Amino acid sequence: MDDRYRASDADRDRAAALLRDHFAAGRLTPAELDERLTATLNAQTLGELRRALADLPAPDPVLQHGQRVPLPAVALERGYRRLLVFYPAWYRRAHEEEMLAVLMTAAPAGKQRPRIAEAADLIWSALRIRCQPRRDGAGPAWRDALAVLSVILPVILLLIYTVHEAQALQSVPGAFSYGFPLWALQGLTAPLAMAALALLRLQRAAALAAVALLTWLVYVTGWPGWSLLYGTADAYILLALGLQIVAVAASPGPRRGLQILTWKHGALIAICTLAVSTTAYPVTLIVLTVICAAMALASPVGRWLLLLLAIPAWPFFIPVFLMTPWDVDLPSGLGVIGQAYLPPAALLVVFVIAARRRSLRSRTHHEAGRDQPERG
Amino acid sequence: MTEVSLREPTFLILTALAVGPQHGYGIMTDVSQISGGRVRLRAGTLYAALNRLAAERLVEVDREEIVAARLRRYYRLTPRGAQRLEAEVDRMRSNTAVAARRLGLLGGTP
Repeated sequence: MDDRYRASDADRDRAAALLRDHFAAGRLTPAELDERLTATLNAQTLGELRRALADLPAPDPVLQHGQRVPLPAVALERGYRRLLVFYPAWYRRAHEEEMLAVLMTAAPAGKQRPRIAEAADLIWSALRIRCQPRRDGAGPAWRDALAVLSVILPVILLLIYTVHEAQALQSVPGAFSYGFPLWALQGLTAPLAMAALALLRLQRAAALAAVALLTWLVYVTGWPGWSLLYGTADAYILLALGLQIVAVAASPGPRRGLQILTWKHGALIAICTLAVSTTAYPVTLIVLTVICAAMALASPVGRWLLLLLAIPAWPFFIPVFLMTPWDVDLPSGLGVIGQAYLPPAALLVVFVIAARRRSLRSRTHHEAGRDQPERG
Repeated sequence: MTEVSLREPTFLILTALAVGPQHGYGIMTDVSQISGGRVRLRAGTLYAALNRLAAERLVEVDREEIVAARLRRYYRLTPRGAQRLEAEVDRMRSNTAVAARRLGLLGGTP
């Protein structure tokens, strides 16, 4: 083809790739490579591309459209890209292309795969980056979910308690005949206090209140397993309290939770809780399915919340899926305890460990700046 | 302002950028040259350091070029970065001066 024909992007890329190969082979110095790559990048015609490659011993690349044999560089690039996957997405967006450029430029000729030392360096750096808190201020979603949970869990408990007490009042004939039944309010004080503490953003007090309430409930109902034999009501409240302790202690706290939540969220949570606790079986299931789907689709925080809320909800699903716990005798009763408490408790323990490690790390890591570096 | 001393790779990266904006590969070769081949940065370490230095506003992006379909991003020292490097140089100089004096290499003039 004529030198005066205009060069295409593909032509320029091909020429540039060849220049890099020649550089890798030692035919060009870094300065020469830079110079020629710049010339190639700005080349308007095939002739200019040919001039950049004129003194290099290769078959004329510009004329061999689509005939270039796969170079070792292609395999090598694939290898590097595979290693770069270890980095978090935001880091890859910022640095993947320039890192690849550096890696490929530094690679000697004919190299087909990354060396072990390189792989180790990339993986090690990637893991270290993953362990650092993000510099743009956003925490991991699960920690935000815990922060949100530390606010909404007491509120949900309060609503459920209120519904329960109201239903109990209705079922007692003449409950109002001696004035307002104060005994009905008794059960509300603890969740009310917890909700108030969380909404007032008193992190430590909220944690202490949850611990106190849990202790008191275990004391009143006896060993939590026994009460389960009569129903799931106590199992869920104990798990919810355990979860609340973790949520308050292991997250940035109600303060962060209230930052994330809006009034719209609050209204939705109230409506959903009331819908679930006042409806009966088939309707409840439909409502729950809709809520779960909406939460799962909403955001990463929503998905984590779903998983976390499954912990206290778990006991409700045992009678549905596994067995009816209220007509069993003692030995299988122990099995029920295991079913009711072990899976959610295990999940809780995993969360505690993860949260502790994370908070230790972020405490030792000194906060340098909140801005994220440039996006690539 | 009391700051922890820079680690050697960080110090060398800042030194490499002290002459002017450089791209990743340029920094790598320059660092190896400055240190007489002793310190060879790998890409993972280099970009982890650049990412951190950018977050600390010691370096910033100067410009970007696409060379041969590859992104080439040039970094430069910020005034803050230059200050930090200067402070580090002063610190090292005073330390090495004392050490050298005590070893009797400087003939006793402070």
